Amino acid sequence: MTEILRGTHYDVLGLERSASSDEVEEAYKRYEALYGDGALATYSLLEPEEVRVAHARVDEAYRVLRDPERRRDYDARTHEAERPAAETLEPPPPRPDPRVLPEPVTGPDLRRVREERGVGLKEIAFASKIGIRFLEYIEADRHGELPAAVYLRGFLQEYARAVGLDPQRTAGSYLSRLTRR
Amino acid sequence: MSAAQSFAPAPLLPSTSPAPRRIWSIGGGKGGIGKSLLAASLGAHLARMGKRVVLVDADLGGANLHTCLGLSGPPLTLGDFITRRVERIEDVAVETGRPGLSLISGASDFLSAANINYAQKVRVLNRIKGLAVDVVLMDLGAGTAYNIIDFFLASDVSLLVVVPEPTSIENGYRFIKSALYRRLRRAAVGEDVRRIVDCALDARNPSGIRTPLDLMTAVEREDPAAADVLRRELHAYQPRFIVNQVRGEADAAIGHQLVTACARHLGIRATYAGSVRYDDAVWRAVRQRRLFLDDRDGARPSEDVHKIAAGLLEAETLTLPWS
Repeated sequence: MTEILRGTHYDVLGLERSASSDEVEEAYKRYEALYGDGALATYSLLEPEEVRVAHARVDEAYRVLRDPERRRDYDARTHEAERPAAETLEPPPPRPDPRVLPEPVTGPDLRRVREERGVGLKEIAFASKIGIRFLEYIEADRHGELPAAVYLRGFLQEYARAVGLDPQRTAGSYLSRLTRR
Repeated sequence: MSAAQSFAPAPLLPSTSPAPRRIWSIGGGKGGIGKSLLAASLGAHLARMGKRVVLVDADLGGANLHTCLGLSGPPLTLGDFITRRVERIEDVAVETGRPGLSLISGASDFLSAANINYAQKVRVLNRIKGLAVDVVLMDLGAGTAYNIIDFFLASDVSLLVVVPEPTSIENGYRFIKSALYRRLRRAAVGEDVRRIVDCALDARNPSGIRTPLDLMTAVEREDPAAADVLRRELHAYQPRFIVNQVRGEADAAIGHQLVTACARHLGIRATYAGSVRYDDAVWRAVRQRRLFLDDRDGARPSEDVHKIAAGLLEAETLTLPWS
């Protein structure tokens, strides 16, 4: 999903924190139309699922920002997290203590970790934009079906990040088995 | 502008002034959305404003700009210049009967002109830049062939025409992305980075690169310095939308939505040059091989085109605070 839709409610509606209630209404109308059912400007650009999520984010942002009380709460809660808006431009910070699996990491190892964490393949596919097919091939060790190492490394890192494993070491370890062959 | 036109050669001397030429181009992935008619009427309006304008029909293989202007096919075309039957580009330009507006017609009769090579393209561009006019307005063909995209990218003002229909918008996005990827491919440093850009060109690529933003992320992982170069290219790329044949305000607002969608979901800084209202007077005029801006009942779309021309001249574009 596009970065901006991961930001604050203000980011989602393209507003400053100082926006007036009229500006909130105005922005909502515009973004509601942009992600509306069959809206021309997004229909061929985004997947239906992406449009659905974007629309839901816009709705959610509007519900909070239109209500003075909820908006005040939200502002107070997110005040310290002001910086994360800029943070979205940089790579996400590594999670504390990412797990490192014993080498060499295999597809079934990855699946076990993923299932332990209760992360769905669809979830990873959606967040990383990696085709679900390729995630399945990774877990099934169907290396012949996987893309060149330069792309696969990125896939593996995304996968690892999503399930709380160390991205670099997991990808390196998985790839080491491929190159040996 | 009658059938008995004389095809007076336009007195276009090579420019001696160092002022940069303003090269404008009009593209849009889809055919039949009014690109040529917009080019002709934009050119006519610019000429009315006192600008010296040459229209170039770069729709090689499907040229019809002359018909939009009520002229029959001129004896010499861009094809004659490309194949060097004519050495100087100004010799294939003809008067249009409108003060200040001349035309370099396309090569509808010359099939291989639609596949001109890179050196020929560069020669056309260089000579066009040297013409003694204020604006060179290029009408590009439909589709996303490299010929079309290269002229689009070489322009100072790159206009992209869409109509409020899903097919046109879809092709418009395809065009805007194809042109950007071509630009990035040229700027890409290093074999690995070029491979990633090539990968992005394939819409069904396995690495999940679907947008320029995805591409930047992938390049960033591979080579942060190369990503910087590409990011600069991405920011310098500023296509301008024109929404043609709008019926009502909701249609006209699509231009703003396209700009927002480009920024948010593609990372492309597009702008909105304006919209042109749908009007029956336009096709009535086309059938009579006239330009609608000469007819009293064509006043509304004519006013819209005028506004676009004036806005572009002042390098103004419609922007809203939320875009």
